[in-house]
Amino acid sequence: YLAKLSSVGSISEEETCEKLKGLIQRQVQMCKRNLEVMDSVRRGAQLAIEECQYQFRNRRWNCSTLDTLPVFGKVVTQGTREAAFVYAISSAGVAFAVTRACSSGELEKCGCDRTVHGVSPQGKWRGQWPGASHNIAYGVAFSQSFVDVRERSKGASSSRALMNLHNNEAGRKAILSNMRVECKCHGVSGSCEVKTCWKAMPPFRKVGNVLKEKFDGATEVEQRKVGSTKVLVPKNSQFKPHTDEDLVYLDSSPDFCDHDLKNGVLGTSGRHCNKTSKAIDGCELMCCGRGFHTEEVEVVERCSCKFHWCCFVKCKQCHRVVEMHTCR
Amino acid sequence: MAGAIIENMSTKKLCIVGGILLIFQVIAFLVGGLIAPSPTTAVPYVSVKCIDVRKNHHKTKWLIPWGPNQCEKIRDLDEAMSRQIEANDIVFAVHIPLPTKEMSPWFQFILVILQLDIAFKKNNEIKENAEITLDVSLAYRDDLFSEWKEMAHAVETRKLKCTFASPKTKEHEGRHYDCDVLPFMEIGTVAHKFYLINIRLPVNERKLINVGIGEIRDVRLVGIHQNGGFTKVWFAMKTFLTPSIFIIMVWYWRRITMMTRAPVLLEKVIFALGISMTFINIPVEWFSIGFDWTWMLLFGDIRQGIFYAMLLSFWIIFCGEHMMDQNERNRLSGYWKQVGPIAVGAFCLFIFDMCERGVQLKNPFYSIWTTDVGTELAMAFIIVAGICLCLYFLFLCFMVFQVFRNISGKQSSLPAMSKARRLHYEGLIFRFKFLMLITLACAAMTIIFFIVSQVTEGHWKWGDFEVQVNSAFFTGIYGMWNLYVFALMFLYAPSHKNYGEDQSNGDVGVSSGEALQLTTTITHVDGPTEVYKLSRKEAQE
Repeated sequence: YLAKLSSVGSISEEETCEKLKGLIQRQVQMCKRNLEVMDSVRRGAQLAIEECQYQFRNRRWNCSTLDTLPVFGKVVTQGTREAAFVYAISSAGVAFAVTRACSSGELEKCGCDRTVHGVSPQGKWRGQWPGASHNIAYGVAFSQSFVDVRERSKGASSSRALMNLHNNEAGRKAILSNMRVECKCHGVSGSCEVKTCWKAMPPFRKVGNVLKEKFDGATEVEQRKVGSTKVLVPKNSQFKPHTDEDLVYLDSSPDFCDHDLKNGVLGTSGRHCNKTSKAIDGCELMCCGRGFHTEEVEVVERCSCKFHWCCFVKCKQCHRVVEMHTCR
Repeated sequence: MAGAIIENMSTKKLCIVGGILLIFQVIAFLVGGLIAPSPTTAVPYVSVKCIDVRKNHHKTKWLIPWGPNQCEKIRDLDEAMSRQIEANDIVFAVHIPLPTKEMSPWFQFILVILQLDIAFKKNNEIKENAEITLDVSLAYRDDLFSEWKEMAHAVETRKLKCTFASPKTKEHEGRHYDCDVLPFMEIGTVAHKFYLINIRLPVNERKLINVGIGEIRDVRLVGIHQNGGFTKVWFAMKTFLTPSIFIIMVWYWRRITMMTRAPVLLEKVIFALGISMTFINIPVEWFSIGFDWTWMLLFGDIRQGIFYAMLLSFWIIFCGEHMMDQNERNRLSGYWKQVGPIAVGAFCLFIFDMCERGVQLKNPFYSIWTTDVGTELAMAFIIVAGICLCLYFLFLCFMVFQVFRNISGKQSSLPAMSKARRLHYEGLIFRFKFLMLITLACAAMTIIFFIVSQVTEGHWKWGDFEVQVNSAFFTGIYGMWNLYVFALMFLYAPSHKNYGEDQSNGDVGVSSGEALQLTTTITHVDGPTEVYKLSRKEAQE
């Protein structure tokens, strides 16, 4: 649903909000109220998809998107590991993009919006400007209210809703707990008598890496009643309980081997694989034992290039013959 | 008319004075911790990538990142690649402050640092000792509609110090380098409401400008300024302290001039310390609210420097004047060995500061650390200053050691004196040691608070209750040294009381003789000196 936003051009009018597919009523309302933020939400979703595809480029499920709704196919609507990752990276992407937009001055009302909770007017009476930590607080709070409202409106009692909420939060935590503290001394003659520190957001690639690790170590959980509230606990009670930062899932994933459009699984046939690797990108595992074609292809590569810091590359063209393996 | 107040004051009164000073000290800490906000705020800015569409860039045109008349933007540099925009046409624009906010003179200064996001590419790595050349310009305006006026323009180079945490393989392309933050700009007054920074990274392959600096993804800035609330508290504190120190200074000097003898060196040094403290206290910063005085930052540094130099000299002379050997001191030239390093060190730091902040008056983008020669020069100044400081502390420690050794030596001759006299001199030695301890405690407090403010986060929280540790550090330490100088001038002022009256139950004949003797000696806490001279006199008798 969120990812669908990424395909929309730009969101500048209120009508666009209603045309957006996949948003629930509450989200449409938020969209109308926070039009200027929606562009960042869209960028956040794009960022999330790009990162997802980068992180899963060597796996059977490679985060490819479909034109239908839901964009990732049924895999994500079930409570699988992959779904956990997608939810986490999406909510992180929204928080990240909104925070960035705040810092570049694109959003006028960063922090002034009453509908977004969690932004306290702390320090106002002391005549202090909101500092570096403020933007990230706003980004996270916006992500919380915009992304989580989907689950909350369903009533946070179903196990899926609990799982999604948990993973959304884990995605945002992946940003928050990886903030870098940077300092600058500026006392007399530049001494450290006066030092100012601030927190800087990690690059999004770093967030992706952290979440990928969490994906690999995700915990399978089931719903249980503790007192009057329902909570998710690990299925295998021997495992230590998951933390706020861990990803959790309910159902085990399919093997993603065969083409199954009904479930939105593209299958691995036609994917490139690595003949020498024993890991998941190796031909053995990637092709699910179906074997692979090998062909020699001549590729034109750029070599001995001259780069500028941006936009300019002057290269020679080198021809090289490589073996390409494709799954049957 | 002999002796300092500290010698004649009863222990009870001394305790009362100490208690009052302690209360003021606590108030100074609380003012910073509870009323003031944290001293500075850092605001992150992400630059907007504008395209300069005009053919020749000679005419200055300001590219504004947002609001009316905003520039033509690109989302990221991949877009520039696909649209075939040249690197020379891209301008990174940053508007300070962010929308709906304005800068104010209460911010005192803006310090901007630069952070580059450079992505790793296997065949476009950052070269060794890469330097980046920035064409930067700064403009200001005071309302949202007028034209931007240029404030400064410069072409600056900065060294890139970047590391890459992962192995440099194709796998890890797209990850960012870890680059050190680069000093970018510093302006000493915030006289305008809006500032605009335009940064270009011109490429010239022939001159090897901006070649081999990797693939720049983003240019981020962090703007640091003092908080308005803190400035107000600070000014209020200075405005309150100035008359208090000034009054005690006038009172002190009046007492000294009332005496029949000329003031001795230690008295003069204490007075000079009072003057330098007042010099720091005078809240000339109030003018920075109304006037665009960019040299205020430099002036503040100089004032602090003078005070530190004065304080260090005072300690040395204080010890020297209590040395109980027979060398005739009481002249500044007698201390050239100890005061010399202070002068040299202070001078070095002054030159260094002039090179950095002095040049920044002309070019706010200047930094002495960017060139090799500059770095070596700056390091040389700092190292010389450091050596001087070490030398000074060696001298100081040695002298303190000598004083204590002499005191303990003289203490052994105390039992031979009459009871009243002995009690009196024991008290004197105790008070001398007491003052040494106070000095040590002040220095230790400064160091401890400095370390605490370095290692902890800026504020401590207990529920809704929040204490600004950094602000408390600044106001507390500032208040402490003020109180120190205040106490010094108060306790070391010449006393009205006569020794004769003081020791009325002692042998009258001897005490009047002592009084006569004492007026000729150097006064203040010269307890040990007196002890020495008296014991010699007794021996003669």
